[in-house]
Amino acid sequence: MIITWLGGLLSRRLGRLLAVSAGIALAVALIAALGAFLTASQSTMTARALRSVAVDWQVEVQPGANPAEVLRRVTAAPDVIAARPLQFASVKGFQATNGGTTQTTGAGVVVGLPSDYRSTFPQQIRTLSGADTGVLLGQQTAANLRSRPGDTIRIQRAGRPAVVATVTGVVDLPLADTLFQKVGAPPQSQPSAPPDNLLLLPSATFSRLLGNSPFKVQIHVARRPPAQSSPEAAYQAVVGAGRNLEAQLAGGALVGNNVAAALDAARSDAAYAQMLFLFLGLPGAVLAALLTAALVGAGASRRRNEQALLRTRGLAQRRIGQLAVVEALVVGVAGGLFGVVAALIAGRIAFGPASFGISTAATAMWFAGAFVVGLLIAGLVVLVPALRDLRGLTVADARRSIRGRTNPWWMRAGVDLILLAGAVGVFIASSRNKYTLVFAPEGVPTISVSYWAFLGPALLWLGGALLLWRLAIMALAHGRRPLARLIAPLTGRLAQPGAAALTRQRHLLARSIVLLGLAVSFAVSTAVFNATYRQQAEADAQLSNGADVTVTPAPGSRTSPREAAVLAATRGVREVEPLQHRFAYVGADLQDLYGVQPATITSATALQDAYFQGGSAAQLMNVLAANPDAVLVSAETVQDFQLNPGDLLNLRIQDDTTKKMRTIPFHYAGIVNEFPTAPRDSFLVANANYLAQQTGSDAVGAFLIDTGGRNQPAVAAALRHEVGTRATVTDISHVRAEVGSSLTSVNLAGLTRLELTFAVLLAAAAGGLVLAAGLAERRRSLAIISVLGGRRRQLRGLVLSEAAVVTIGGLSGGALVAWGLSVMLVKVLTGVFDPPPSVIAVPVGYLGIAVVAVVAALTAAAFAAARTSTRPPVEELREL
Amino acid sequence: MTSGDALVICEGVSRVFGTGSRAVVAVHGTSCVIEPGGRVAVIGSSGSGKSTLLHLIAGLEQPTVGSVTWPGLPLAPDRAFEIGVVFQSPSLVPALTVEENVALPLILADTPEGEWRSRAAEALGAVGLDDLAGRLPEELSGGQGQRVAVARVLAQRPRLVLADEPTGQLDRASGQHLIDVLLRTASQIGAALVVSTHDRTVADRLETHWYMHEGRLHTSSGERILS
Repeated sequence: MIITWLGGLLSRRLGRLLAVSAGIALAVALIAALGAFLTASQSTMTARALRSVAVDWQVEVQPGANPAEVLRRVTAAPDVIAARPLQFASVKGFQATNGGTTQTTGAGVVVGLPSDYRSTFPQQIRTLSGADTGVLLGQQTAANLRSRPGDTIRIQRAGRPAVVATVTGVVDLPLADTLFQKVGAPPQSQPSAPPDNLLLLPSATFSRLLGNSPFKVQIHVARRPPAQSSPEAAYQAVVGAGRNLEAQLAGGALVGNNVAAALDAARSDAAYAQMLFLFLGLPGAVLAALLTAALVGAGASRRRNEQALLRTRGLAQRRIGQLAVVEALVVGVAGGLFGVVAALIAGRIAFGPASFGISTAATAMWFAGAFVVGLLIAGLVVLVPALRDLRGLTVADARRSIRGRTNPWWMRAGVDLILLAGAVGVFIASSRNKYTLVFAPEGVPTISVSYWAFLGPALLWLGGALLLWRLAIMALAHGRRPLARLIAPLTGRLAQPGAAALTRQRHLLARSIVLLGLAVSFAVSTAVFNATYRQQAEADAQLSNGADVTVTPAPGSRTSPREAAVLAATRGVREVEPLQHRFAYVGADLQDLYGVQPATITSATALQDAYFQGGSAAQLMNVLAANPDAVLVSAETVQDFQLNPGDLLNLRIQDDTTKKMRTIPFHYAGIVNEFPTAPRDSFLVANANYLAQQTGSDAVGAFLIDTGGRNQPAVAAALRHEVGTRATVTDISHVRAEVGSSLTSVNLAGLTRLELTFAVLLAAAAGGLVLAAGLAERRRSLAIISVLGGRRRQLRGLVLSEAAVVTIGGLSGGALVAWGLSVMLVKVLTGVFDPPPSVIAVPVGYLGIAVVAVVAALTAAAFAAARTSTRPPVEELREL
Repeated sequence: MTSGDALVICEGVSRVFGTGSRAVVAVHGTSCVIEPGGRVAVIGSSGSGKSTLLHLIAGLEQPTVGSVTWPGLPLAPDRAFEIGVVFQSPSLVPALTVEENVALPLILADTPEGEWRSRAAEALGAVGLDDLAGRLPEELSGGQGQRVAVARVLAQRPRLVLADEPTGQLDRASGQHLIDVLLRTASQIGAALVVSTHDRTVADRLETHWYMHEGRLHTSSGERILS
């Protein structure tokens, strides 16, 4: 019996079985592909975190301990590849005399480096000009002293005579914050910025010049990378190793665990990646399951009839149940297999073989899990309804096709409104902790993830869908006349009964509308999220680089803004904007100060409103233009100095004529959080003309260059050729690869492609397959109407009317839900964005493609059904 | 009566389903004429080709060989409005009420709403179902569904009524009642009535008996197929 039934299913219901299997395959493929990608991305995050660390450990020898003994023990510790001792001495300052004037800096630090330090830790020091070895001056110190390679400087020692050294090079320390950390101190006790003045000396020179001064010894350590692939596991391993070393040293030294700190940040990003999987992957899988359920539901009437027939012919309920099990198994296994194959293909296309799946075992685990989910979906949507009908319905009940004329229980209980209220409640609760989803206090071994926040968008999605269902049913129940008018152009004289039929089938139609709405809202919100993420990643890159291409004159050089004309003549350059860069003391705090041309700054770089407080970007630039002595400061400065708008703020800035610091009055006009090329800590933005007039110099710190977003590497190469060694040229494509969190480093482009492809597929399937399945069930009705004299045009009109109702309802309802969902998703996932967005990005192109795909799928399904409806009616009736 | 007055003429009609070794000849070399006002019972066992013959007469099937012409009826597509068909299986549109099902041919023929409503009510009254006008087909019994199908024909007022095993799913009493309704309806609207059946008691209610056996039609009364 089972074999016969199976044969019948495969020969007579193959199309429906394939459609249901396709729905299951979508869910399986989405889970398998995203899961494998998630595992792979965590490995990428670990690797990136490890790459970002120049020195794995900074082991600081404690007073009284023997540095040589500590070095011996560190070198002998497991997994240590190299250990090099450095000396750190504090000095009163540096002095240089150039062009008849003498410049003196504040307090500084001198570091003694072993001869092979730079080759052992190549990321630590970057040469800007001059030699790689010898007496190396920090960039800012060189700027303060106006010194270049070959100049002589005086090192002012505390309580001892100054000593002299000849500068051989100017260097930059990209990871100065880490290098000058206070080893063993908690984050809140760490210095807010590295020392302003810095000199690097060979160890021997250090001993010669500063050997008699007090100094501390730090041992810099390179270790083998941890074997663990996930950031969390790797973090646990390196923290344990660091503590083990501290225990062995018995108080002789403290370990500054830089690699653990980097992994600490990466594990937060890994947790965010999990959240993204949850937010973007799970709804897709749920949607695919709902789609499958709807496909099965569209054939429920026929299934009940078949069950009724089998029961009237005496087949026991148990045997009928077994037939349902066979059907569920067939579609579950087929869907699972299709899904796994689809995931493999989609993963390879989206991510490439290298980054898809961390290892065969991890990928296989995800694939096996997804396959089991496919079987569960098959059981839930195929087996459970069949068994429920079998137990709950009489034969007469089972033969009814227009079921559910009363509103469902959830509608009567107002579940949709309750869910929406819940969504708002969770959203408000999330906003109270500033949408912090991942809590990872530094130094705390475990992180916590607020999965509750996921409830907000989830409840909104479900509540919105149920509200759409309610509205669709209300509109169809009470809008028969407008509906008749709407479909009249398609159905002609059949408009009235056609509208009546649509009204009576409102529960079936509402289900199709809701499913399409859910799919559309999933596609739109996913697309909006991804577009906003890309927008902010780009903004982050632009903030770091300043513009498409940035030309930074060498330290100590004096570059006139008129150089902009030379740069503007380079092929591919659209706009050039000079940006002044100075240092200013706010009280005793030295901060970066940027002088901008408020009227033209946005011609070369983008300023988002989110970068500022107290006004939009345009408003605050207008303030700078209208009030030349206005200054924008960081929120931290406002708090530290208790500033109110309009307050006088005296800044001490070096005068170019006298080379001495002088006080220049400014007035506080607003807060700036981010600015192109500016550091993440406190800085100031002022009017360039006022700054030039007050300091006697219009020297440019950087030229921001707009290329129209195209050919940045080529334009940068041309500019390098133009400026030679006079300036450093960086382009955004290079910076894009360097900046950002490890989350950004994940192949988000591949993930986006995968998600967006699935979203379009789901939306098209929700529209096309469900409509096709529903219309297939109405072939008998269409055949009867044909026998009674219905023309082809009228039959086609009826089919297209149904498609139009589903399309209009699904797209408009889905767009509304998507709007709310997108806004909430971007807010809730604020932590993923850097910098936080001021506006969400709407990917018009993708949405256009999605709408076209959905409409095309619906149209194809409708026309296929319409073509079937014009087949000879008796042939149709005979087949059913 | 000449063939020029006939409603339908079948000449050497055959209908073959499938091809090659799987071909099934449902109707074989059949010729017949249906006159206006005629009362014909097409008698035969299951699978003898009765339904296919009725479908050919209704124009719902195309003959493989031979021709079917409708000299007494208008050309297609208006011809559909002059032929009323009652199927053996349920033939009501599930999403429409009883009243709308009955009026469907009138609506398709662009009859004004007032008129189709009154004619539907009249037809339902004639079959004794006027109190079920607002019901949906799923709320009817099998016999009621067939009577609604008959009412649809009555409201349509065609010149030819074809009923394919209309009592096949009914008990004897209900079947006889349905045949009463069909005969009365055909008389009221002056239509020819062709009923296919394997039930002798049903066939005996009609004047002319045609016999189908293995796809061949015998219009002489001497040849009896039924037991």
